[in-house]
Amino acid sequence: MTEILVLCPFGLDPGLLSKAVELSGGDVRILVPGQDARAAAAFGAGKIHTLDQTDLSDEAAFAVWLSEKTARWGSRIILAPATVRMRNLMPMVAWLRGAGLTADCTALRMEEDRLIQTRPAFGNSLMADIRSLSEIQMATVRPGTFRAVERPNPQAVIQAESWTPGGAVIQRAFTEFTQGKPLSQADIIVAGGMGVGSREGFRKLELLAAKLGAGLGASRTAVDAGFAPYRCQVGMTGVTVCPRVYLAVGISGAVQHLAGMSGSEKVIAINSDPKAPIFDYADYGIVGDWEEIVDSLLKEEDL
Amino acid sequence: MKHILVCIKAVPAAASVQVDGQYRLKRDGVNLQWNIADESALEAAFRLKDKDGTVTVLTMGPPKLEAPLKDLLARGADRGVLVTDRLLAGADTRATAATLKAAAEKLGPVDLILCGRRAIDGETGQVPGELAAALGIPCVSNVERIQREGDSLLLSRRLEDGIQLLQTRTPALVSVCEYSYPLRLAGILGMRRARTMQVTLWSGADLGMAPEECGLKGSLTKVIAMESKFPGLRKGPKETRAEQGIAVVREMLREVRP
Repeated sequence: MTEILVLCPFGLDPGLLSKAVELSGGDVRILVPGQDARAAAAFGAGKIHTLDQTDLSDEAAFAVWLSEKTARWGSRIILAPATVRMRNLMPMVAWLRGAGLTADCTALRMEEDRLIQTRPAFGNSLMADIRSLSEIQMATVRPGTFRAVERPNPQAVIQAESWTPGGAVIQRAFTEFTQGKPLSQADIIVAGGMGVGSREGFRKLELLAAKLGAGLGASRTAVDAGFAPYRCQVGMTGVTVCPRVYLAVGISGAVQHLAGMSGSEKVIAINSDPKAPIFDYADYGIVGDWEEIVDSLLKEEDL
Repeated sequence: MKHILVCIKAVPAAASVQVDGQYRLKRDGVNLQWNIADESALEAAFRLKDKDGTVTVLTMGPPKLEAPLKDLLARGADRGVLVTDRLLAGADTRATAATLKAAAEKLGPVDLILCGRRAIDGETGQVPGELAAALGIPCVSNVERIQREGDSLLLSRRLEDGIQLLQTRTPALVSVCEYSYPLRLAGILGMRRARTMQVTLWSGADLGMAPEECGLKGSLTKVIAMESKFPGLRKGPKETRAEQGIAVVREMLREVRP
């Protein structure tokens, strides 16, 4: 088994850590902010490095630090969540380490000591299996792809690290978006597509979502049509989700959308077109008028 | 900004694309268009350059890109460079960055390099970071707005949970989001000016690159399999009677609710 290093300096990705624990047979080293050290141990990390630095904006300089650290740690497989910042840092680290890097993977497996990285290619119409030819193998993984599994590691060792920014890039301000829990963490998602037909239609889905304590999702075409805001967009160009139940309402099931929700535990599809591709990817389908069904669900007292 | 270099990529215009026996994207015989985020980067360059400054556009691809590059000259670019060589085919992001680095160095000092944040065909978004690391300059990705402030730049960068306002020293590399800066059209004067200009054509050898550094040979990742079947087929039962359907959905929802 080969040690896997997971880089999460901006915050723990428990799903990715769980996958790394599974692939490495429990031999995971991780870099997290200090406040996430305990959680990292709870999800199975063995060697935990913590970094508490408020401004990591000089990413080129931080990448130099990361490549020196990772060389010292000796890890040959390096994974990171495919967040905006890690997708900027990882290419720089890969260059400095002379490593091949695969972006935004949606599946990972080991073949002996080689990491096979699967990612959608060419607008998601194809899935490609990619192998690194370099000694160091690196990949970023789409957040929300893997389910987090608690595997407490009582032998976890925590070591504090430090880094001083160079100052070439500094953060002057940060404006946080006002929104609740991110969609990628919702247990239930009620998502709508073009079939919902209007902003008013989406209001009904929103009511249903509120009733179920669920998140509201949307297909790209529905977002483009202005029915729902971009932050609701599920799929290739939006967020990836794996809730326990994904209720797809009036969504035809374009591959770009499927890429973002195929990891859901259960998928329920409601569509008036019995030939809609979404039914092939659903555990249960209702062919019919979405509004009639959503109205009945809204009326249910004991849902 | 005296000299701004913009890296731009031609991508297939159609949503459906084909690959060859080595899983390389077939670029012959398909219509190509400039990647939309890269167009945004070019427009940003036009707005940021000094009055007497230079904007150079740099691309890698087949010889047929010469005409579309001329169109970018007509829109306001001062120089167009096309790196074209069969040896460069099949480059992964690292081999691409190595080639762009060699070309950037041959072009001489630049104050700013602008790229699109990702291309719509590969969607890796890795070349900007790799190129910046190769050149040893600061790199800021996913930028929506750029303003000059003396010798530094103020950048609005979109993260998952908010907008960062960053200040960077130059020279630096900045990757720009789609639609941030819609690319201007060519005017009559621009078209006239472009007619007298030549696109610079460079081969791998012109850049001093050895064959093993470029293209498929210079790549550190290899596609070993590709399948068009999308994973996750479930093919569950389909119900046409609303009442029965609702009853099942109610049960499925109850199972996961506290």
